[in-house]
Amino acid sequence: MLHLLYIEWLKLKNYRTFWILAALYLISISGINYITLEFIQKAYENPAAKLIAGVHPFSFPDVWQTVTYMSSFTLFLPGLLIIINYTNEFNYKTHRQNIIDGYSRQAFITVKIVLVLLLAIISTLVVSINAAAFGITHNETPFSFEKAHYIGLFFVQCLNYFGLALLLSVLFKRAALAVGVYFIYITILENMIAGIINRYKAPAGNFFPIDSADSLITFPMFKEAQKTLPIIRPELWQVAIACGIYIIIYYAISYWRFSKQDL
Amino acid sequence: MSIVLSLHQLSKNYGKVQALQQVSFDVPQGCVFGILGPNGSGKTTLLGIIMNVLQPTNGSFTLLGKQPSNDVRKQIGTLLETPNFYHYLSGERNLEIAATIKGVSHADIATVLEKVNLYERRKSKFSTYSLGMKQRLAIASALLGNPDVLVLDEPTNGLDPVGIAEIRNLIIQLANEGKTIIMASHLLDEVEKVCTHVAVLQKGKLLNTGTVDEVFATGDSIAVLQAENLDQLSTVIKTLEGVQKVQIKNNSLHVHFDMATLSLKTINLHCFNNGIVLSGLQLLKQSLESKFLALTGGLTVNQ
Repeated sequence: MLHLLYIEWLKLKNYRTFWILAALYLISISGINYITLEFIQKAYENPAAKLIAGVHPFSFPDVWQTVTYMSSFTLFLPGLLIIINYTNEFNYKTHRQNIIDGYSRQAFITVKIVLVLLLAIISTLVVSINAAAFGITHNETPFSFEKAHYIGLFFVQCLNYFGLALLLSVLFKRAALAVGVYFIYITILENMIAGIINRYKAPAGNFFPIDSADSLITFPMFKEAQKTLPIIRPELWQVAIACGIYIIIYYAISYWRFSKQDL
Repeated sequence: MSIVLSLHQLSKNYGKVQALQQVSFDVPQGCVFGILGPNGSGKTTLLGIIMNVLQPTNGSFTLLGKQPSNDVRKQIGTLLETPNFYHYLSGERNLEIAATIKGVSHADIATVLEKVNLYERRKSKFSTYSLGMKQRLAIASALLGNPDVLVLDEPTNGLDPVGIAEIRNLIIQLANEGKTIIMASHLLDEVEKVCTHVAVLQKGKLLNTGTVDEVFATGDSIAVLQAENLDQLSTVIKTLEGVQKVQIKNNSLHVHFDMATLSLKTINLHCFNNGIVLSGLQLLKQSLESKFLALTGGLTVNQ
């Protein structure tokens, strides 16, 4: 496997587009949390805020939930990296050349899946560091690992977002099409369909592919106010199972498809 | 002589289109084997199946006498259809990837780049290469690890005349080193100049296979005759058994005949016996192209 990863490294190390987007992604994780903190800070200047909204979302232990929740809005960026990395091979037909040169089809798709896992691990690490840093600098409550399980949920969410990106790349093969469908699906299409379904049969809409991942980490702010709203939510274990099934489906279809199709 | 590649009843369908229909032939070791056919005849499909980028609908094949596998492919240098490289990487870095996949020492990279005259431009990005340079880089990649078998799909495609000559010389040179070369081409001239063996494909069907001489020796030959009175000559020639067709062209007589039954000597003798002295007698070697067109039935031979 190290040999395969070394080959992927040779492909990526001089690919500037990839590294620029990766850097922007890492910056955006801190950026989106910082913007949220600024906004929340203003709201909490009013002493009444705590009563209505509950504890400050950037203090321990809630900061784990807040930072993972806000960071999940940046997940389309690593999704884009995955699509670029994969569809480039189709675009340049280098996937064919790799096979011709003696790669097995299984090795080719396996190492792509491993790259996705690595990206999910790195994303989770960076988000953890951000959560800890924001909690510590906010300095309202002492450091605590309580609610740190949100880090694990964020990792699962990454696997879901990235798995869909990989699957769309394998199916569509073309960057523009895969990127377009990916963005439209995760930002608008699924939310729209899930919203309509939830209106009649809540919380069925939360069991859609991306929604199941999004439902792992619930909206972390104004918790006191949320309690008064009539929102029907699925249980965590329910969406976790749904999300797990989707993840298996994404990677299994990608693997199977690449192993069998004409390249 | 052992068999490098053996195809057995290989078929490939794209939906209703039959790209290959039960193609079987053997490629002996040490030959330059041309797979000849017009565009769309199934040449690339055939090579794609051998290199595992396409899945056959039916049939099987062996490579180097073994069942096809990744390790067998590593021992074959291949250029399939177009040069496939990472545009954002230099020629050298692209070859690093190919060498790493093949498990070939990176020290080989400089050697193959020099062989195709790309060493000076090794640091330039692939996207800045001309079509000819891209093609030469692909050939360099195929040469990594000094493989005994090379598979080249339209190796002179897109090259200028100088580039074509260079590549052909390189192929001949490689063949002289004892390598087996399997080459797809739609250019008869190329096959005639470079190949020892040939398989002719048309619409996915194998029309003929064997040595170049065998495959293209069939069909009629043409003798060009000249005499003072062509009309008289024509009448006399038509009485000769084995003559198929007679035409008057450019002050000479074109006689179509079968080499198996007639020779120039008997034609000459026949004329002389009938009181005609020939002022010219020449065997017009039928061009490979017209043979090929005759084989594939694309057009009738018209000399």
